[in-house]
Amino acid sequence: MHIKIYHRRKMLIVAAFIVGIGLVLMGRLAYLMIFRSAYYQSQADALHERERSIKAARGLIYDRNQRILADNKSVCTISVIHNQIKEPEKVIRVLSEVLSLDEAKVRARVEKVSSIERIKANVDKALGDKIREYKLDGVMVDEDYTRYYPYKTLASKVLGFTGGDNQGIIGLEVQYDAYLQGIEGTILTTTDARGIEVENTSEGRVEPIPGSDLYISLDYTIQSYVQQVAKRIMEQKEAKSVSVILMNPKNGEILAMTNEPEFNLNAPYLLPENAETDAIQDALNQMWRNGCLNDTYEPGSTFKIITSTAALESHAVSQNDRFYCPGYKIVDDRRIRCHKISGHGSESFVEGLMNSCNPVFIETGLRTGVQVMYQYFDRLGLMEKSGIDLPGEASSIMHQIDNVGDVELATISFGQSFQITPIQMLRAVSAVINGGKLITPHLGVRIVDAKGNMIRLHYNEEAHVIGSEVSDTMKALLEKVISEGTGKKCFIEGYRIGGKTATSQKLPRGSGKYIASFIGFAPADNPEIIGIVLIDEPTGAYYGGTVAAPVMREIFENVLPYYLGQWPDIESDSGDGNE
Amino acid sequence: MIRVTAMNRKRFVGDWAMLGTVFGLILFGLLMIYSASNYTARLHMGNAFYYVERQIFTVLLGTAAMFLMMKLDYHRLLKMALPLYGLSLLLLAAVFVVGTASHGQKRWIYIGSIGFQPSEFAKFVLIIFLASICGAAGSMMKKWKGILLVFLWMMPAAGMVMVTNLSTGIIIMGIAFIIIFTASRQWLPFFVLMGLGGGFMGVFLKLASYRVGRIEAWLNVETHPKGYQTRQSLYAIGSGGLFGRGYGKSIQKLAYIPEAHNDMIFSVICEEWGLLGAGIIAALFMFLIWRCLITANSAPDIPGALLTMGVTAHLGLQMLINIAVVTNSIPNTGIPLPFISYGGTSLIFLMCEIGIVQNIAQQGKTYIS
Repeated sequence: MHIKIYHRRKMLIVAAFIVGIGLVLMGRLAYLMIFRSAYYQSQADALHERERSIKAARGLIYDRNQRILADNKSVCTISVIHNQIKEPEKVIRVLSEVLSLDEAKVRARVEKVSSIERIKANVDKALGDKIREYKLDGVMVDEDYTRYYPYKTLASKVLGFTGGDNQGIIGLEVQYDAYLQGIEGTILTTTDARGIEVENTSEGRVEPIPGSDLYISLDYTIQSYVQQVAKRIMEQKEAKSVSVILMNPKNGEILAMTNEPEFNLNAPYLLPENAETDAIQDALNQMWRNGCLNDTYEPGSTFKIITSTAALESHAVSQNDRFYCPGYKIVDDRRIRCHKISGHGSESFVEGLMNSCNPVFIETGLRTGVQVMYQYFDRLGLMEKSGIDLPGEASSIMHQIDNVGDVELATISFGQSFQITPIQMLRAVSAVINGGKLITPHLGVRIVDAKGNMIRLHYNEEAHVIGSEVSDTMKALLEKVISEGTGKKCFIEGYRIGGKTATSQKLPRGSGKYIASFIGFAPADNPEIIGIVLIDEPTGAYYGGTVAAPVMREIFENVLPYYLGQWPDIESDSGDGNE
Repeated sequence: MIRVTAMNRKRFVGDWAMLGTVFGLILFGLLMIYSASNYTARLHMGNAFYYVERQIFTVLLGTAAMFLMMKLDYHRLLKMALPLYGLSLLLLAAVFVVGTASHGQKRWIYIGSIGFQPSEFAKFVLIIFLASICGAAGSMMKKWKGILLVFLWMMPAAGMVMVTNLSTGIIIMGIAFIIIFTASRQWLPFFVLMGLGGGFMGVFLKLASYRVGRIEAWLNVETHPKGYQTRQSLYAIGSGGLFGRGYGKSIQKLAYIPEAHNDMIFSVICEEWGLLGAGIIAALFMFLIWRCLITANSAPDIPGALLTMGVTAHLGLQMLINIAVVTNSIPNTGIPLPFISYGGTSLIFLMCEIGIVQNIAQQGKTYIS
């Protein structure tokens, strides 16, 4: 039984066969590992790497005095990773104590077998740090930013707020979202097959670019005072809402804008107690709505400023033209009443304005004619949106010029039968009193990025929409309205105030609901500040001259010394009584 | 000549190079099992060393078994061939009755918590059995009839294995083919048998539809849902490049490759050690084959040479199929990499076989000297 030659030959063949196939496989291996390496490497990387975004800090919003109105706050998200927890009892105790959570609830989360479980989000950084100090295995404290509004309700409808993805929801936060947002960074991490990050693997990191800061024209001091007054008046008059806008008529910078009731920007989804809960989204939208520009109203008698301007500049009337008011005026087949039922009797145009006499303005409007009137509406920006840098501005609702008959023209002349927004009204009156320059009301002044590069924001201005003579005339007339006419309650000794009252009946007529409003400016000869006050559905007295004018006086009394930097010009008194 | 060996039994004159290579591969295997399994073991078993600890135990057991085999004269083993074969058939039959399924196939018998794969035992026994009967058949092996008879003798075992575990079945057939091929003077019958085997394979693949799915996965490994495991293996191999990521730095082992410490361990070796490391491992296997060939050539008698060739075939075929699977050169099938992959039964019997070869080497060397 010796091993024969053929045995040996066959054994060699078997071995050679195995080694031969082995070499072929090595060749294949070399092909895979050299020539296909880049391909498989990239496939594998695509499989292993997860891109995790790093939030960019949102740009801040500053008022005109560099006071922060919208800030970022560091918050923490606390979560647990089940299979990394070593001392479950301690974890449960610490988390429930520090976060003041129900222990059973924490226990359920900690004991749940999941890859990661969130315990609580938006935790104060101090508490997050405290938890970190315990150095508990399996407890993750992730830092994050959240928007924070230090003054809560201050200018809530102007500033707006942001959603969970750092996106603006309303207000300036929406309007300037692209600047405020910044650019998210990314972390490239390696994960295992379940998508869990693996420690000690090299990370690719792209730093986020923080959002740019927005500087606005709003003045914190004025705004908070105005808001305080508006709130008090709303409560006193049991009104539906009170809107106040203060603006620099020369350049359109808004100093204050409120539409009480405002809401808490740090809890924007918290509805007031009396809100209807069956339509939550509608109620929220209602709460967030900024009546100063999102809603229209019939301006009423303040609109006589516009009618006067058109009539005077087109020479349809002159200041000393005489009119007669029997308490009504018949236009076509309609008898249109004056607010003074007994009539104002014989009066000049100037007296007509001071008395806010409807028959005088009906006559004025008819004399001016619809073509000229509309021409001035157009020049004064009433046929377009004001262009304010806030979202959702409403458009004016005007008659088609072809459909305006005498009756319509008559009602338009004293501010009825059409609707505009308060901001449009304020803009038009600004052009009348600033020498004829149509400005764009705005809040944003400049944008400064993280590197300090500044963009100054520019707004449209159109000069000479009316002549400066008529502008001067109108300032003088409107000052008389305050000193001697219906606006007496806005008279402040030592200051020259101009203005006009209005009492608009809300639709449907006869509902007994009114908007009392007042537009005022100061100093009357060279206005630095213009304001509008609207009290929506006041109870009791509802005349603009009675209700709205005193509100503007109160505001002016306090704001003018601060804003103009000068005390009232009173000879007998140094002005101590005014602050 | 049996007497002569018995006289020199006290002094060990085995093949030191072969033994060293085997232990080198086993130790490297332990390192790689730790690297490939520590992440998932910590995750699922709560102990990063779970698989390594078990494998170390297996290695100790296997080493003991191997030394036993080294001391045991292989002729006594050859004499026990028939009863061993009977036992193996019994165990294989038992799998159908009391077997436990793993990965959808009944392949295991559990005694308490210790699992045992009768198919691995069958492999081991068949090598002894075939070496024994081929040796005994003598001149019968020159005839077609003798060759066919030998094949018929082993078919019950091979058939039973093949029903549940095609790849192990194929390996058994391959081992048998190589032993009989070596034993016989004939050439033609083996070419005929190879043709028949190929045809048989085709029919079998057509019949077992789940295997056809594997073939589709093999052809479309990048897209086929069943190609996942092989795809992950290719990612690992490709990521390795020339020099690899370094020991312990494989990412594909992070549960991307299912049970990376098992049949797919070679791809983790490629990822961590690169083409260089994988080449060294392959070269060690080639070296082992070569040492086996030397032993077979210097074996004292034909059964000894056939036994050695059986072991060579076992080792070689498993290594080739394993590497071919991880490189997607053939359809996916679960064959462990000898000495390196995690797994008890397979390693213990492989070490026993090395023990037998060592015994043959001792006797052969003694004989020659």
